[in-house]
Formats: sequence, C-alpha cells, structure tokens
Amino acid sequence: MRKSNRLRGFFLALFIVLLLPVASGFESSAQAPRLGEKGASRRELHLPISDFSLTDQLGRPFRFQSLKGRVILLSFVYTSCPDVCPLITASALSAQRALRAWEKPSVFFLTVTTDPEVDTPLVLRAYANRFGVDLSNWSLLTGENSALASVWKVFGVKVKRKARGLVEHTPLTAIVDRQGILRVVYIGSSPDSRRLLRDIRALLS
Amino acid sequence: MNFRTIVCAASLIFFLAACSRGEQTKALYAQRCVSCHGVLGRGDGPIAALLPAAVPDFRLTVERKNVVEIRKAIVAGKGMMPAFGPALSQVEIQDMVRAVRLLSREGRRAEWWEKFEPIVYAHCSLPWEYVLGYGPPDGDAKK
Repeated sequence: MRKSNRLRGFFLALFIVLLLPVASGFESSAQAPRLGEKGASRRELHLPISDFSLTDQLGRPFRFQSLKGRVILLSFVYTSCPDVCPLITASALSAQRALRAWEKPSVFFLTVTTDPEVDTPLVLRAYANRFGVDLSNWSLLTGENSALASVWKVFGVKVKRKARGLVEHTPLTAIVDRQGILRVVYIGSSPDSRRLLRDIRALLS
Repeated sequence: MNFRTIVCAASLIFFLAACSRGEQTKALYAQRCVSCHGVLGRGDGPIAALLPAAVPDFRLTVERKNVVEIRKAIVAGKGMMPAFGPALSQVEIQDMVRAVRLLSREGRRAEWWEKFEPIVYAHCSLPWEYVLGYGPPDGDAKK
C-alpha cells in the first residue's frame, strides 16, 4: 500500500516536471528560433497599416504614406545590437542586392530602430555605410520614443530596454504591399533572403 | 589609527575596486561580445556560424593590431560588427579593449606582456608610443 502511494507520488512529480516547461514557455519558444538557430518563422496576414511620421537617416521627416504604390520590407533593429539585428539587416541587404533593375523602383526597404536613445540619424547613417546599403530605396528611421512606440505597437514589436545600447525586442521583419497592407511577417534572427525575395516578387506582380 | 592600518585599508579598498572593475568587464564582454566572439574570443559564439564572414580568433588577429586599432573597431564598428561608441561610456570602451587584449594574450610573447601589461591596461586608450616611449616589440608590430 505504502509502495503504491510512493509510486503514485513519483509519477505525479514526473508529470509536474514535464508539464512545467510546456506551460511556461512553449508558445514563445515555438514562435521564434533561439539565438544561434538559423531561419525565422513566417506568417501571412492582412492588416492595413495607418500612416506614421518618423525621421530618416539624414534628419528629414519621413511619412509612411509617401511609399504607397511600392512594396515595403520593414525590419526592426538597433545599431548596437550584439546578436540578431546584424543578421536581420544582412538578410534584407541580400534581398535588396538580388532585385532586378526594373524591380528596384517598386520596392522600398525600411529599417526602424528599437533604440532611439542611441540611434540618432547620424548613427543610423554610419550603420548604413558600414553595411554598404544602397540608400536609393532604403531609409533608416528613428524619432521620438512615443512616435516609435506607436509604430512598434502597430507591427506587434515588443521592446524592452535593458541598459544603454542594449534592448530586447521582437526580431521582426515585415512586408507591406502596394496598398499599405501588412501581408507577411517573419519572426527570427535570419529570415531567408530568397524567401523574402519570393514574397516581395509575389506582391509586385 | 596607525600608518600600517591605513595602508592595509587602502590596499583592501584598491583590491576590491579592482575586483569589481574586473567583474564589470566580464559582464560587459558577456553582454556585448560573446554572441559572436565566443567565451574565449575564438570566434565561435552562438551566432558566429550564421554570419556571412568568419569571426576572427583574437589570438590570431589581435596580435597584429595595436590598441588604437582595436579601440577604433569597438567604437566605430567594422562590417557587421556594431559600433559601440554611441552606446557605451569611455570607461566601458576601455574595459572592452582590455577584455579583447586579455583574450588575445595567448598569441603574444608572454614575457613581454608580463612586463608591460599593467602599464598597457592602465593606458589602453593611448598609443603604444605615448605610453612606453617606443612602439610595440617586433613580434607585435603590425603585419
């Protein structure tokens, strides 16, 4: 009798131990690959994006509406990010370089900072130069914290400041169609640039 | 309070301050560098394999650079490496230079380093010539 109670207790403990990680973090770990894992999870959506105003890498005002009629690839990064952001920017850069000459005027790339405290227009410009970004169809955006917060919210990007120049954020890359509707999002450290290009081309045609 | 007590107390304070600086350097390296450069600076961090270019092993590459060049890479970034200048304080940048130097030590001439390390660490934002009165030894000269 005592032995069967002990056995029941053991199985109950085993059940709790197995269930705990599932209950606490399964959803988030399934959504985004962990650091060091290649790729990103992809999701299709249909969400109209309302206009917003920010500041570009030259300190000029930028309006999202001004890009209507173009397919837009947005990524949310910050320049002093020591892990996923350089990979996200590199994927977008590969897609930009792979565009054909006649496709280029119809596609625009946006980098929206998640750290306005550090990422001034000057810092963003240096970041673009370091990566060798072609700025003819790419803008890097910053702005007031409140203006950026509303943009992050629209795209579902969660941002948490940990220290100066160290920010935890959703590693999101998004594609918006010519009508200003959010169509595809990727969450992860390195979205496949060929997949990005395929989605861009599908929205161009 | 006699002289000996004062000296002991001052030494203890200096020792504790040095320890805390060392801990801050370790934390800074863990937060900002480990993901690419790896725990020992060998270019084998968790995301190194995903980068399009190989991450250098400090033991092989840092010996070819002087403190000014290392500092410049940390402050202004290099290729995909972030620029930490706008984000970190001068003291933190200095700590980063120090961490890189420590991890690259294996590739250097040990006896030369044992002699000059404390001086170099104390002035690691300054050029060799300024600190020592002459350039780095032949083995450490820029190749």
